[in-house]
Amino acid sequence: MDAEAKRRQLSAALNRVAGGDRPALCLVYEMTSAKLFGVCLRILNDRSEAEDVLQDVYLTVWRKAASFDDARASPITWLVAIARNRSIDRLRSAGVVRFSQPIEAADAVADPAPSAAQTLEDAQESKRLKSCLDEIEARQSAAIRSAFMDGLTYEVLAEREGVPLGTMKSWIRRGLAKLRECLER
Amino acid sequence: MSDTGARDKENGALTAAEYVLGVLDADARRAAERRIARDMVFAREVAFWEERLGGLADAVPELVAPADGWARIEAALGSAATTEEPHGMWQSLAFWRGLATATSALAVACLAALIYVGAISQPGAPLLARLDAEGGKPSFVAAINTNGGNLTIVPAALLGAEQKSMELWLIPPGDKPHSLGLIDPNRPVTIKVPKDLLREVSNEAVLAVSLEPLGGSPTGQPTGPVIANGKLASL
Repeated sequence: MDAEAKRRQLSAALNRVAGGDRPALCLVYEMTSAKLFGVCLRILNDRSEAEDVLQDVYLTVWRKAASFDDARASPITWLVAIARNRSIDRLRSAGVVRFSQPIEAADAVADPAPSAAQTLEDAQESKRLKSCLDEIEARQSAAIRSAFMDGLTYEVLAEREGVPLGTMKSWIRRGLAKLRECLER
Repeated sequence: MSDTGARDKENGALTAAEYVLGVLDADARRAAERRIARDMVFAREVAFWEERLGGLADAVPELVAPADGWARIEAALGSAATTEEPHGMWQSLAFWRGLATATSALAVACLAALIYVGAISQPGAPLLARLDAEGGKPSFVAAINTNGGNLTIVPAALLGAEQKSMELWLIPPGDKPHSLGLIDPNRPVTIKVPKDLLREVSNEAVLAVSLEPLGGSPTGQPTGPVIANGKLASL
């Protein structure tokens, strides 16, 4: 199945979930759980918490599927946003400053899955984002990437990079402004 | 005035980006969420960044979700799930059949969920069976409601057998096969299990599908090859 067909199928399944179709939720889970579990674990860096949050993510999808609008958002992006928000909220509520490990360490915690959701992403959109990130200053784009991946606050990011808080804020804010300019071009 | 307005707009755009990026603390996140609910311009900004930055998740490796992941979600949904009308179930199946052909292994877990939703609308615990072909490829999923005696069998893969009939058999432990009737390889079929046979339906019994001459086995016992079989189990 090609990427476009997969996206359509995932959108259709989400629309069915909005109507209370439990098997459709099962289908959404089968198609996306490996991706979303990867996202949760990357942020939480704790397998059992990531498992809890993953469950919470699909319960949220069950309740909020009606607000998914396939004219405005791609289904995988919508799901990733829920997974990230739930994970970040859990991370903040834990009240501990957790230094997320580099990617390699997170990989070691769980088995890599065959990349089922990869083709769900909008290749053109990702390509554009990457070229825009390449255009901006390296340390700004690095800070943006690492903030997104790990869901860390300015404070923790600054500490991790060993720079003053104001410096980290200005890297990310300037980077975001330039990124926006580039994306809208 | 216009200057303040412009600054507000700027701040809103920046806060939306910061919210999506995930750099805000818990209080600022709650404030941003409240603003999404009441400020459409801000909500659109958030949507813009979610869509654009979402691509960064490409770099996050996919990981096998916990084995009991779906079961935990189903348990949490519990009675909160809507009990689907049989009509809804067939509609679901129609949607669903298109995908079974592409990814039948994935589909089986969901088929079980589908039949289960249909089955729990009646009293009595359902027994489920996945009927695998040789080599372990799932071919059918069946559910029996032991109370009412309704058996639903759903094809999980495309099976071509136009010149033959497919007959379903119940095989109690240590007993010979009992015919449950003919099934359709292309659509779900619901069979009323006769009362005397329903007593034989248990965790130990096996369901099997054999290829028979058109119209079914002439002898009352399977005459053709068994193309799929599986043991019944409670959920």
